Amino acid sequence: MSVAIAQWRGFKAATRLGWEISSNWTQPLIFVIYSVLRPISAAFILVVMYRVISGGAPGTAAYLAFLVSGVAFWSFVQYGFAGLSNGISEDRGEYKMLKYVYTSPAHFYVYLLGRGLAQLASAVASALIVLVVATVALRLPIDPLQVNYPLLLAGSLLALLAVIGMAMAYGLLLLQARDAHGYGELGASVLYVVSGAIFPISVLPGILAAVASLSPLVYWMELIRRSLLGSHAIRMFPALSDADVLLRLLVTTAATLILAHLVFGWADRLARRKGLIDMESNW
Amino acid sequence: MSHPSAIRIFLKTIAARAYPRFVAAYRNRAWLVTETLLPLIGTIAMIYVYRALHAPLRYLGFVVLGGVLLAFWQNVIWAMATQFFWDRGAGNLELFAMAPTSLTAILLGMALGGAYVSLTRAVTILLVASLLFGVGYSLSGLLSALGVFVLTISALYCLGMLLASLFLFYQREAWQLADAMQEPIYFLSGFYFPLRSLGALVGGAGSVIPLALGLDAIRQLVLPGTPQFIPLAWEVLAIVAQIAGYALLSQISLRYLERRAREDARLILRST
Repeated sequence: MSVAIAQWRGFKAATRLGWEISSNWTQPLIFVIYSVLRPISAAFILVVMYRVISGGAPGTAAYLAFLVSGVAFWSFVQYGFAGLSNGISEDRGEYKMLKYVYTSPAHFYVYLLGRGLAQLASAVASALIVLVVATVALRLPIDPLQVNYPLLLAGSLLALLAVIGMAMAYGLLLLQARDAHGYGELGASVLYVVSGAIFPISVLPGILAAVASLSPLVYWMELIRRSLLGSHAIRMFPALSDADVLLRLLVTTAATLILAHLVFGWADRLARRKGLIDMESNW
Repeated sequence: MSHPSAIRIFLKTIAARAYPRFVAAYRNRAWLVTETLLPLIGTIAMIYVYRALHAPLRYLGFVVLGGVLLAFWQNVIWAMATQFFWDRGAGNLELFAMAPTSLTAILLGMALGGAYVSLTRAVTILLVASLLFGVGYSLSGLLSALGVFVLTISALYCLGMLLASLFLFYQREAWQLADAMQEPIYFLSGFYFPLRSLGALVGGAGSVIPLALGLDAIRQLVLPGTPQFIPLAWEVLAIVAQIAGYALLSQISLRYLERRAREDARLILRST
């Protein structure tokens, strides 16, 4: 059996495993309801906050679309980052199978990529439903026939790679902890603040804004809004063209993946040396 | 041999169940970080949303006070409502059921310890967020606000006791259900905006959660200019009624569901 087939089988098994772990407790409809309840409520919170301040003044749809699109696509980070980084700790502590994954023929990266992609289905469903509900209810200027799909897909693919890379590195770092409950969500919430998902990064203090501008998520959010809303989009980087933003996303994603690989390698060596792969943890 | 009285056992159970929470408030540093930082970062994110909208300063105060009570809600969900679920997974629930005491006393101990843990986190959130963003409060209403706060937390933990008994019936979906009781509750309770903004119908529905009315009352007392949902006195009365109502309901529910759980062998069912 060739190496490629072994890796493909490992990837398929990991994807299926990730999907089963996240969804096998219920029926598909209930699963979808639970998956969209949080992002829809988060979007409504922002809508009410905005309405309280704007007082329902005309011309508010563009800013509402800014908020809603950020929240809708944040599901990818919530599921991909928090879900995957928590998953590594769960595989060790709850299911006690991390050591078997290490010893299986599939590369650990391939396994984690599959585990991470399993979360994608939930994120896609969640983002779609939030966008559709909000567009209809709030009359947002999103026209499905006018969406720049190639830009949206290219941006989202790069961002997903960055998110999974970050989650892998962060998840391996969490193996150092005996009790990592809530740390996946904590990491995701830090990214939430510096990603431009719900407010432009220009409102952050100087140093935080500078850090945020190094994150691929900021450029991804910008591309999402430009591709969904076209000329109606409120821009965080008005001086940059679409191609410039895409280029920045590409560069920051590449840098993130390199950094994530280095951190992952270091954390992996440390975990092996300290015997953390099969450590009993607080479950 | 003399037996301790029932009331002594009841009180000792409360103290015994609260003790590990008092100790864990500082001993488990991993939880100290997440329990403080998760609500704090969420609060900061919402403050920046208002800042981007150039909102008046009192709106930042709305968010900070929401963040303070959010720490308590997270504790109620993850350390009260779901606690019997975790205890069952760890094998403790069957020991609780066999012990010569009541589950009510155990829940009261959890509530007492949990409220203390949350208070330490909430004070940190209040101080850090207020100092960081220059949020001020009216001192004239502070004492009354503290009174309303105590009533709100009492009602909240009574609701937590009710939820704990309901969660006895959940298996693997308990985690998802607890997860789903976050943003939807933040929305319905007006954590980040005046409750009045939700309108009478949605705001009224949200008032089932004690946080909604409690938060609105506290805001009215320490943040002058807060749009009033219902008059303050009515809010306080409603919270007092919720304390009595949820306490009573939790007892009925606990007895019924404990009996059902024994019949269905759910007290020993491992699901994690």
